[in-house]
Amino acid sequence: MKVDVVLFATLAKYQPDGAGGRHPRTFDLAEGATIGDVIAMLGLPDEPRVIFVNSRHADEGDALSEGDRLAIFPPVAGG
Amino acid sequence: MAATAGRAPHGGPSVQLPLDDPPSSDPRTNAELRARLRACTVAIIGCGGLGSNAAQMLVRSGIGRLVLVDHDRVEEDNLNRQFFFRDQIGMLKTEALAENLRRIQPDVDLSLMTERVSSQTLIELVRSADVIIEAVDTAEAKAMIMDVCTRDLPDVPLVTASGLAGHGSANAIVTERLSDNLYVVGDLTSDVRSGLALFASRVGVAAAAEAHMVVRLLLGYPEP
Repeated sequence: MKVDVVLFATLAKYQPDGAGGRHPRTFDLAEGATIGDVIAMLGLPDEPRVIFVNSRHADEGDALSEGDRLAIFPPVAGG
Repeated sequence: MAATAGRAPHGGPSVQLPLDDPPSSDPRTNAELRARLRACTVAIIGCGGLGSNAAQMLVRSGIGRLVLVDHDRVEEDNLNRQFFFRDQIGMLKTEALAENLRRIQPDVDLSLMTERVSSQTLIELVRSADVIIEAVDTAEAKAMIMDVCTRDLPDVPLVTASGLAGHGSANAIVTERLSDNLYVVGDLTSDVRSGLALFASRVGVAAAAEAHMVVRLLLGYPEP
């Protein structure tokens, strides 16, 4: 199944093409793949992050579906 | 164009129209806009550099009720950017901020929640809000608040901040809509964990941007 993945801010450099930027890249994933599988595949650091699928809240254990748009945002400190 | 059309000719419900061209009253204090904001509740999680400054701007903008959440006390090194005064050192931030806000607007309705926010307590603290501001300092707490609010209160807009440290350009601080009801203010990358300092001027830009996004949302404008 095909899923679009958007990585914001400091995570953008983990896109496999190394080009950075926040435009979506399309991944061909096995049926039943979870968000956690994508995070592991990309090697994202174990830092605070917030996850959305199709602009709604999601958890790492959630399974993805064909055509989903996965977005991962890493907040940074300061206030 | 009138801000509110009032009763439809057939006696149906009033229709809300855009507010770009308010009626003839003084545009600086437009009574109709203020009446709308006065009926609103904004929860502010964290009363430090972001939250204390956003709070005073929201009170000056006419928001009727604020829920202030913070467990901490005012310290001397807060005075470089937070809306407190030297004689308030040692006070609970919620109580010191309430004192300052009431000096601006004695009638403002303030609910003080002096406790540390956790994923278990957060929703009960902010449930009454029309809009929530995230104004904490650690990345972990920001992520937790974004996570819990977007999961459990998906219909309540959440305005957050990420990337406001350092002496980078103020112009790099922007407001974006990350998902249906999640807004983020900041440059998204400048991080105090990288050793960047916090300046009143740049933190203030972010606080103002958070406050202004709240005002826009409450007036019916969902885009930054």
